[in-house]
Amino acid sequence: MSAMRVDAKVVMLGKESVGKTSLVERYVHHRFLVGPYQNTIGAAFVAKPIQVGEKVITLGIWDTAGSERYEAMSRIYYRGARAAIVCYDLTDSSSFQRARFWVKELQNCEEHCKIYLCGTKNDLIQGDRSLRQIDYHDAQDFAEEIGAQHFETSSKTGNNVDELFQKVAEDYNDTAFQYMTAEETGVDLDQKKDSYFYSCCHNN
Amino acid sequence: MSQRTERRGIHVDQSDLLCKKGCGYYGNAAWQGLCSKCWREEYQRVRQKQIQDDWALAEKLQREEEAAYASSQGVQSHSQSTPPQQPPGHTSLGPFSKFEEKKTNEKTRKVTTVKKFFSPSSRSASKKETQEGKSPSPSISRHASFDTDQVSRDFVDFLKNLQKTGREIHKQCRAFIMNMSSKKDLSAEELSECVQDFYQSMADRLMSHFKGSSDSVEQVMDQVEKYIMTRLYKSVFCPETTDDEKKDLATQDRIRALHWVTIQMLCVSMDEEIPEVSENVDKAITDIIEMDSKRVPRDKLACITRCSKHIFSAIRITKNEPASADDFLPALIYIVLKANPPRLQSNIQYITRFCNPSRLMTGEDGYYFTNLCCAAAFIEKLDAQSLNLSPEEFERYMSGQASPRFSSSEGDWPHSGHGVTATNPVLAQLNHNLELLSGLSSRQETLMESARSLQADLLSWPDTVQREVNDILEKYPLEVRSCTVSAIDANNMDNDNLPPPLTPQVFAG
Repeated sequence: MSAMRVDAKVVMLGKESVGKTSLVERYVHHRFLVGPYQNTIGAAFVAKPIQVGEKVITLGIWDTAGSERYEAMSRIYYRGARAAIVCYDLTDSSSFQRARFWVKELQNCEEHCKIYLCGTKNDLIQGDRSLRQIDYHDAQDFAEEIGAQHFETSSKTGNNVDELFQKVAEDYNDTAFQYMTAEETGVDLDQKKDSYFYSCCHNN
Repeated sequence: MSQRTERRGIHVDQSDLLCKKGCGYYGNAAWQGLCSKCWREEYQRVRQKQIQDDWALAEKLQREEEAAYASSQGVQSHSQSTPPQQPPGHTSLGPFSKFEEKKTNEKTRKVTTVKKFFSPSSRSASKKETQEGKSPSPSISRHASFDTDQVSRDFVDFLKNLQKTGREIHKQCRAFIMNMSSKKDLSAEELSECVQDFYQSMADRLMSHFKGSSDSVEQVMDQVEKYIMTRLYKSVFCPETTDDEKKDLATQDRIRALHWVTIQMLCVSMDEEIPEVSENVDKAITDIIEMDSKRVPRDKLACITRCSKHIFSAIRITKNEPASADDFLPALIYIVLKANPPRLQSNIQYITRFCNPSRLMTGEDGYYFTNLCCAAAFIEKLDAQSLNLSPEEFERYMSGQASPRFSSSEGDWPHSGHGVTATNPVLAQLNHNLELLSGLSSRQETLMESARSLQADLLSWPDTVQREVNDILEKYPLEVRSCTVSAIDANNMDNDNLPPPLTPQVFAG
C-alpha cells in the first residue's frame, strides 16, 4: 500500500488563521527527509517519521478546519488521538479563549490524549512587544493547571517548532512503552480465545 | 419450480380470477394464480425443498474445497520445492459453475423473495446444523458469487507462502465466518465487536509469530480483512437490525433538498471555470460514488482517499498553494452535496464497524474518512448559520420558494458580486460556452463575408486589368517607326578630327 504506517495520531486544533497549517508546513519542510510524504499534495495530513532514541516513530499529523461552523464536528476529529496540539495566536486573545474551549472538550472526551499548548507567531512579538495579548505566565499557569506542555513558537523563524514535535514523539514513545508492558499481561486472555477457535475447528 | 411452467397469462375470465386451488378466494397473477394463503403454503414447501438442495450442494462444495486445500497443502509440505500441479481453486470450479446455474434459476424469482429467503431460513438451518454438530453452514457458500470465489482463491494462494501458519490462518478465518453466520440475529454493534475481537486476536498472534515485524502483520491482516469481509459483506452491510437504511434515505433526501447550496455559500476555494479544476471535481465525484460498489472496507477507504486527492489537486490548481484543512473540508462537503453518494450512512457505518482499526484511526485513509464523517455530520446539521444566511432566507430556499440564483442578482447574499452567472458553476460554464459559440459563429460569418468579397474581387480583377491595359493602349497607341539602317560611322560626330586613314606606302628596296 502506498499509505505509510503511522504510529500515533496527532491533531492540530485552533481557531482559523492561527497558524496550524503553517506550523506543520514549517516542521515538515524544514528538514527534507526522503519519504513518500513529500508527495502529499496538501498539508492537511502529514506522516512524519521522527527519530526518538534508537527508534523511529511516525507521527500522523492531522490538520483540522478551525472555522466555528465546524465546531460541532471537532469531536470526530480528535477521536483516538494520542496527542493534541492546541494552537493560539499570541497576538489574539480571542484565539486563547477558543483554545480553552478545545482543552475542555479534550479533557471531557479523550482522556488518553496528551495536550500541548502552543502559542504561535512568536516572531511578531519579538518585533513589537506591545502586540502580545497573552501573557506568557498566564498561559504557563493554564498549562500547568491542565497538565499540558506549553510552547511558544514561530513558524516564520522556526523557533521552538522542532522542539514541540520532538517532545510529542518522545512522550508518545514513553507511554507506548508503558502500553506494551501492560499488554504483555494480557496475553493469557488471548490464548484462551485461541483455544476457543481450536475447539471450533476440531469440531469440523 | 413446477408451477412456473403451468403459469398462464392473465385472462379476463371470471373463473380464472379465482384461486387455482379452488379455495374460493381470488387469486393473483403475481402469486401464480393462487390466493395469498395458498401461495404462502405452496411457496413455503418449494422453499424448504430448495434450501435442503442448496444445503446439500453447499456441503459438498465445502468438503471439496477443504479437501482441495488440504491436498495442496499436503503437496506443499511434502516437497516444498515443487509447486502443486493444480491450484486448489480449480477443483472447486466445476461444482461452483453448477451452483451458478442454480443461482440464475433463483434470480428469475422476485428479488424480495430472495432476500426473505436468506434471513430466516439460514438461521434455522444453522441452528439445525449446530445441533447435529455438522460443519459448514450452507448460507456462507450460498453467498459465494464469482467475486467471492476469486477472493477465496487469492486468499489461499497468498497463505500458501506462509506454509503452516497459512493453514492455521485459513482455518481460523473459516471457523470465524461460520461462527458469524450463526449470529445473524445479533445487533450490528455486537457483530462489529466480534469482527474487531477477531482482528485483534489475529493481529496479536501474528505479531508474536512474526516477532514484531509490523509490516508483515499488516500485510496478512489486509488479506484476512479482504477475505472475511467479502464473505460477510451481504449479511453485515446495512443489516436489517439497524436503521442504517432509513438514515441513508434521510441523508439522500436531505442532500436533494439542499440542491440550491452554492460553492460560494460554503466558502470553497475551487474555481470550476478552470477546466482542470472541474475535471478534478468530476473525478472526485466519480470516486465517492464508486465507494458503494466496493465490498472490502479498505477498498472503500481507498475510494475516499482518491476522491480527497482529486479535491486537493483542484484546490491547489485554484489557489496555487497546498491546501489546508480549512480549504479541504468545505470542498469535501461540496463534493458530497454534488455527488449524493448512494448509501452514504451505511457505508460510513460499515467502515467504522468492520475496518481494521489501526488503519482507520491513524493513517492517511483514516484522516480522509474522518473528514467524510464530518462532511456527513455537517450536512445533517446544516442550518442557516452554517451557510451565513438569515433563517428566513434558509427557509425560503429549503421550501423552494426562492432560489439563490435569482436573488443573487439583487445582492441578497454576501458573495453575489459575480452576478447571475457565477451562482451556478454549471450554468456559468454553459453560458461561457454559449458565448464562445456565438462568438465563433459571428467570426465565421465575417470570414464568409470576406471570402465572398475576395471572390468578387478576384472575378473583377481580370476585367479591371483588361480595362486598364486598354486605357493605356488607347492613350499610348503603338507606333511602329520605320527603321533606317545607316553606316556605322554615320552618327560619329567627331569624324573630322580623326587622323586620315593610313595609306599603304611602298618602300623600294
